[in-house]
Amino acid sequence: MAPNDEDSPALGRFLPREVNGWEASGRDETYDPESIFDYIDGAGEVYRAYNFQSLRVRRFRKQGQPAITVDFFDMESPADAFGVFTHDLEGERLAIGQGATYKGGLLSFWKGPYFVSVYAEGETPETKVAVLQLGRKIASAIPVEGEKPELLKLVPVAFSLDEARFFHTHLILNYHFFIASENILRLDRTTDALLVPFRSEAGKNRLHLLLIRYPDEGKQAQAYESFIRAYMPDASPPGFVRTEDETWTGIRPKKNYLFLVFHAPSLDQAESLLAEIEERVEALRGGQCL
Amino acid sequence: MKEKLMTRRDFLRMAAVAPFLAAGPAHREDGVNLLSASKSRVVLIRHKEALDASGRHNPPVIQKMLDEAIMAFFNVKEPVDGWRRIIEPTDVVGIKSNVWSYIPTGPVVEQALKRRILEVGVPEERIGIDDRGVLRNPIFQKATALINVRPARTHHWSGMGTCIKNLIMFVPNPPAYHGDSCADLAKIWNLPLVKNKVKLNILLLLTPLFHGIGPHHYSEKYVWPYRGILMGEDPVAVDATGMRVLEAKRRQYFGGERPLQPPAHHILLADTRYHLGVSSPEKIELIRLGWQEDILI
Repeated sequence: MAPNDEDSPALGRFLPREVNGWEASGRDETYDPESIFDYIDGAGEVYRAYNFQSLRVRRFRKQGQPAITVDFFDMESPADAFGVFTHDLEGERLAIGQGATYKGGLLSFWKGPYFVSVYAEGETPETKVAVLQLGRKIASAIPVEGEKPELLKLVPVAFSLDEARFFHTHLILNYHFFIASENILRLDRTTDALLVPFRSEAGKNRLHLLLIRYPDEGKQAQAYESFIRAYMPDASPPGFVRTEDETWTGIRPKKNYLFLVFHAPSLDQAESLLAEIEERVEALRGGQCL
Repeated sequence: MKEKLMTRRDFLRMAAVAPFLAAGPAHREDGVNLLSASKSRVVLIRHKEALDASGRHNPPVIQKMLDEAIMAFFNVKEPVDGWRRIIEPTDVVGIKSNVWSYIPTGPVVEQALKRRILEVGVPEERIGIDDRGVLRNPIFQKATALINVRPARTHHWSGMGTCIKNLIMFVPNPPAYHGDSCADLAKIWNLPLVKNKVKLNILLLLTPLFHGIGPHHYSEKYVWPYRGILMGEDPVAVDATGMRVLEAKRRQYFGGERPLQPPAHHILLADTRYHLGVSSPEKIELIRLGWQEDILI
């Protein structure tokens, strides 16, 4: 589909025409999941993996200053807007929308079902002010907030959610944490997954949690069997294996969920983390406050 | 340095490669055993004045760099003699360029290449320059020789934009090759439209992008004027060398190891899985020409 500014006129209402002397220039462009590769080379695959519906692009110009581009993505659901935001968490955290980062002239934030990127082609003190101002204006124009994915509520308290990544497909899982070329966890657009690294005071730690919710118990059972067969045929005790780097990997099925821990320093820690997640599932289902 | 331990996550990555390794050494159609043949030659040429004061490509210097590179590559005294090794006057030649808006191949490089192909005796009407329209371009549809030229950059989905990747526009559905961080890009090189037709691979390191951010994977903050060009017949050797430059720049800039994200494993797999060329530095004869300051490798 060719770029067309009439395809999603509703999105345009969230975008200002001017900020700090930067004025909207030319016609807005709109892209869909098929045409996005005409606009974004490579990274278009990320937005498709999060079920994005449409993208509205508005460019702003000011004499003697780098241009600024706003990419406004309608992700349809708040969970996917949050998810695509967590794909790239690099940068300074800011209080814009429901979560924002800024680095190198680029502001990214999410609010409700929308993910927004505001990008200056060159970074100057003036562009930084304008980029942040644009972001705040757009965020305040979006009248709704959205719920973060429920999987976040299952993460043990010792983990920081600041670096949690929410996604659906094994392409995105492998992007952040390679497990296997084959899709041994049977992830697809119908599954929700959350990857959470553990950060100790000493710095980066290899321990990761992976929480997956399948659409039904049948799909969970297939994925569980597939993972055991491919990744831990030598499991001992069942569901746990001491891997080659002398850390522990574990998996636990529960209803339509699978919970996995990678690179735990001990079997005890692997077991207790998975048990804690299981308890949180029970509490959530029982309506208890977590 | 402590040797890296192979975990089962590493093993599962390599397991996809192993069956192809077990298939034995590969042979090019011309009979050359790629795994035991002599080294793949790659020329790296740099020139301090490759860019003008505004950072634009400097036409006479770019021409000179390409000329010196091809002379060194084929060990000949005139550029046209080098071009005659790979192009015949009867050829239909497609120059596969790259139009990515932030760092395109650009007309200076394209015209410098075209000039020498004309000197070989190929008439202008049988020379085409294209990127995204190659499948609809009559020159590329009947090309007998392809010159593959593109800038080096990090890439959000494949780890790195490479010469190997530059042929993706020869498939009608490029996203079909996006799986596993574009692991199987080298498969494209076996398609009839391109197989054995790529005569020269040129990876531009004039203003490479060594880190990307945001939807467009670009910030001028992460572009640096390396002022270099890599050239070779073996696309894997050219790309692997380019990747070493980007990795070295990332180490220098970030102050420590900062691997490409995702890893550009399509380069390694082009070697081990598809036997398109060689990726190991030990199997690459790197000829360094010109400006040596901050060469990084």
